[in-house]
Amino acid sequence: MTNNYRYIGKDTPRKDARDIVTGRAEYLDDVRLPHMLIGKVLRSPLPHAEIRSIDVSKAEALPGVHAVLTYKDVPDATWGIPNHMRLLDKKVRFVGDAVALVAADTTEIANHAVERIRVEYEPLQACYDVDEATQPGQPPLYDQYPDNVIPQITKLLQNVIKGDVDKGFAEADEIIEGTGFYECFPNPLPPEPPGVIAYWKNPDKLVAYVATQSLGLNKYLAQPFFRMADTQFIATQCGGSYGTKNANLTPIGYAAELARATRRPVKIYYTKEEHLAAYSLRLSCRINARVGIKNDGTVTAVTGEWIVNTGSGSEAGPHEIAVGCGELQLALRCPNWDLRSKLVVTNRAPTGIVRGYGGQELESSILPIMGMAMEKANVDPLDFFKKNFVRVGDEYFWRNGIKYIYRGIDFSPAIDNGAARFGWEEKWKGWGKPMSVHGNKRRGVGVGIHCNADVGEDHSEAWIKLTPDGRALILVAVSEAGQGQRSSLCKMAAEVLNLPLEHVNMSFPDTDGNPFEFALVGSRGTYTVGKAVIEAAEDARRRLLELASPVMNLKPDELETEDGYIFEITNPDNRIPWRKATGIVRTVLGQGRFSEDFTLSNFLVTFVEVEVDTTTGMVKLVNVVNSAGCGQVIAPACLEGQLHGALGAAGLDTAIFEGGMLDPSIGRMMNSNMIDYKWRTFNDLPEFSTLTQDTPMPSHRFHAVGVGEIATSPGPSAVLMAVYNAIGVRIMDYPFTPDKVLKALSKIR
Amino acid sequence: MKSFNHTNATSLAEVKTALADGKTNLIAGGTDLIGTLKDNILRTYPSTLINIKTVPGLDFIKEEGGVLKIGAATRLADIAENPTVKQKYTALAQAAFRVGTPHVREMGTIGGNIAQLHRCWYFRKPENRFDCIRKGGNQCFAMMGDNRYHSIFGAVNRCIAVNISDTAPALIALNARVVTDRRKIETENFFDVRTPGNTILDMDEIIREIEIPVPPAGAKSAFLKFAIRKSIDFPIVNCAVMVGGEKPRICLNAVAPKPYRATKAEAAIAGKTINEETAAAAGEAAVADARPLEAARFKVQIAKTLVKRALLATV
Repeated sequence: MTNNYRYIGKDTPRKDARDIVTGRAEYLDDVRLPHMLIGKVLRSPLPHAEIRSIDVSKAEALPGVHAVLTYKDVPDATWGIPNHMRLLDKKVRFVGDAVALVAADTTEIANHAVERIRVEYEPLQACYDVDEATQPGQPPLYDQYPDNVIPQITKLLQNVIKGDVDKGFAEADEIIEGTGFYECFPNPLPPEPPGVIAYWKNPDKLVAYVATQSLGLNKYLAQPFFRMADTQFIATQCGGSYGTKNANLTPIGYAAELARATRRPVKIYYTKEEHLAAYSLRLSCRINARVGIKNDGTVTAVTGEWIVNTGSGSEAGPHEIAVGCGELQLALRCPNWDLRSKLVVTNRAPTGIVRGYGGQELESSILPIMGMAMEKANVDPLDFFKKNFVRVGDEYFWRNGIKYIYRGIDFSPAIDNGAARFGWEEKWKGWGKPMSVHGNKRRGVGVGIHCNADVGEDHSEAWIKLTPDGRALILVAVSEAGQGQRSSLCKMAAEVLNLPLEHVNMSFPDTDGNPFEFALVGSRGTYTVGKAVIEAAEDARRRLLELASPVMNLKPDELETEDGYIFEITNPDNRIPWRKATGIVRTVLGQGRFSEDFTLSNFLVTFVEVEVDTTTGMVKLVNVVNSAGCGQVIAPACLEGQLHGALGAAGLDTAIFEGGMLDPSIGRMMNSNMIDYKWRTFNDLPEFSTLTQDTPMPSHRFHAVGVGEIATSPGPSAVLMAVYNAIGVRIMDYPFTPDKVLKALSKIR
Repeated sequence: MKSFNHTNATSLAEVKTALADGKTNLIAGGTDLIGTLKDNILRTYPSTLINIKTVPGLDFIKEEGGVLKIGAATRLADIAENPTVKQKYTALAQAAFRVGTPHVREMGTIGGNIAQLHRCWYFRKPENRFDCIRKGGNQCFAMMGDNRYHSIFGAVNRCIAVNISDTAPALIALNARVVTDRRKIETENFFDVRTPGNTILDMDEIIREIEIPVPPAGAKSAFLKFAIRKSIDFPIVNCAVMVGGEKPRICLNAVAPKPYRATKAEAAIAGKTINEETAAAAGEAAVADARPLEAARFKVQIAKTLVKRALLATV
């Protein structure tokens, strides 16, 4: 679609691109503070145990060691949703749980000191599965959760209950029951591991350099954890996050407590093994559901229990459940619901925020059951999704339990255009039927959708400072984790102020020098931060023209600005530079604010074609089409990159080979390295197309909402459908590795 | 990683002397060794690495006297790209090409590829987390744990970890010999299951070259590897075959603690025209003696498929 914008919808170089590719971008490992120490963590070899005694004397005695901390030495503060996780505790709850912290002059000394700490444990029975965990007699991980179930948080949407399910089932032509398993515990695995450098400027002020996706969220969550000390978070260039570098306070806490004890800056930088086995994994889900459907594809009732395994700690479990419950209603219009969630703790590594955030997990486990229902009712899945995604005027409960009415756009063109690009009509042969068979190679196709109203979540503030030299600085606490949002915000401000893009820049990303901003999460940046920045730019522009008005003897609405000049609209030759309007000893400040809005949604449909080798069980991804609905595109190349994010980042490949492999006899993750943990490499990339529609969205001046987060979300269930259609057997537990496929095909003797 | 000394050798005699102290390790490409040191997987740590890449005369590929000779320090990338190897010793070129990644093939050598340590995620857990039989301990953790990638032909010396060399089965199929500074060994007899180590080499013994007899006219060889990804991954199963010579030779790897010569498959295909049916029968025969643990049963199906497909690849 053509438009008259100067920058919006056009590709412009990312502001940080040259720095990234030339190695000038500053990542956490590039930051060297004077007198900085290295922190290391002693981790538990047992999945569940009480600590009987810890002897740190040999570690403390080592030259170069400056502090050794155990649970006795750190404040008794907890974090997580709900608050329950201590930094160090008298108990360990998973293999890899922290037992003690060391700060030393070098990594070598710190590692050596860790080896010299002696711990006696009283082992407790461990559990890894939700059924095991909730058996009577199973020792609780937390005293406050005696049955290993985290109680529901009433102010969040924890269940979807509406209408009359008995009536709904009575109206159904077909009723299907099933169990779906999305229990693969993947790690989205940003290339840069988690890291923090922290120091105390004074006893009441913590300063932390963090490789983070979300500065503001770090501050917002960490401050209570540090008993309301003043905190300043400073973002380094972040080498990927995919959700996981938003809210995990453990490395921040380690660095901060060691820094407090040593009165020096302390750096914590996870090894790949720690990152994979002891950081944030994706939630694991199992769902037992019953679905009523009419032969025209109308869903009449959904009931079920959604059992979520959060591992040994819940960074955000209840909140992810709340978002998942909301998102499922956007993908699946149904008047009658009784879907209840249960959040269970087990002795696996803790789970946390990962893109897809509850919805990907819920849909990956329930959509295959919907697929069984569609098959029974003989409904084409594409027709089903087209009929059932959210329409203008539809009501849904969002994550806060409040009812909203959708006021966005119709996403049918996204489905139609995606289907045309993919060739769905020719490739779809019916449920359980392959698209083609060549010897032992059987191809199948599948489709999935995802919608998210978190595009308008939470609040943002932005300021814009215009300087007399014709430049604009955007003051907003936004860090860069790869989405390109810092550059896109500059485009929006440059468009409003009609400035050269190189004269619009972002302030340094820290929380002291910028106003409140929540986080770049849930694809919210484009709409929420975007709107705050647009408002700030409009406010600054208005003030600028008001200053120019008396100088030029014209009313502000007779004036326009371009490239740092102000001119008379009807006589453009009558112009002055900004400095003549403002003087050279003044700044012009504009302010903008966004307040949360859950009445819009983004949309993604993913089409996949897979080829299954029936003699080896190998599932090969052949073709992927991602078609997004997100309104006007701001930065086409950045968006395409975001949509390519469907692969990796604990996304589509959680259906093919990604996941954590746990040895249940010892509770240890076995594949916590980059050889055994499977992650798609470049030469295994499939054919991949991305489509966007540019249909204006009623959001802000540029009619856009974000969509990057959900690039991963429809993939897994689409692959499940495709594998089923290829081989005629439905495998319900992800991922579909050769052993499972061969077993499904009865090829294992 | 802990600190160690690194010295460049100028002669094999120097290397031999250095190795005698028991605290020195030989390094060629280092693609396996450096990983074991970074992860600190063994009980002991070398005080010195002695580099043999600086020893002249260990990096060559040449045919002479009816034999192809490959220097021990010849890089896998050079073997994979060598026109003679590709044409007459096809399985070896294909195997070398499927090792690791371009970086690994540019560094890794043929000597190191056959002498590398086995892959077992218990054995390889950092900081010697599992002090197993192969390190002098008394337990096999894989036996009771997650052994989906382990042996389907039982244990050797109570270990069920597999040899995962890609080039080893190709060399065995091609009838190669390993020439050391003191003897010539049929590749098939080169492997062992020791503490530590996967070869019969003495502590101070050094591989000098690989010798492969020129295959008889009409002989053809092929190598296939099954892994989740095209690069990086070690094989779940791999297989090399040579047919059209005197007798067919078929070797699987990653299925047992040592490369597994599939003699029953060789007998099944001997004297027969290779087609879908005979190749499938050879595949079945190859796994006739398999006795996998539950989690590794799928590898049997893959092993027999690879034997069949490798045979068909020579037609």
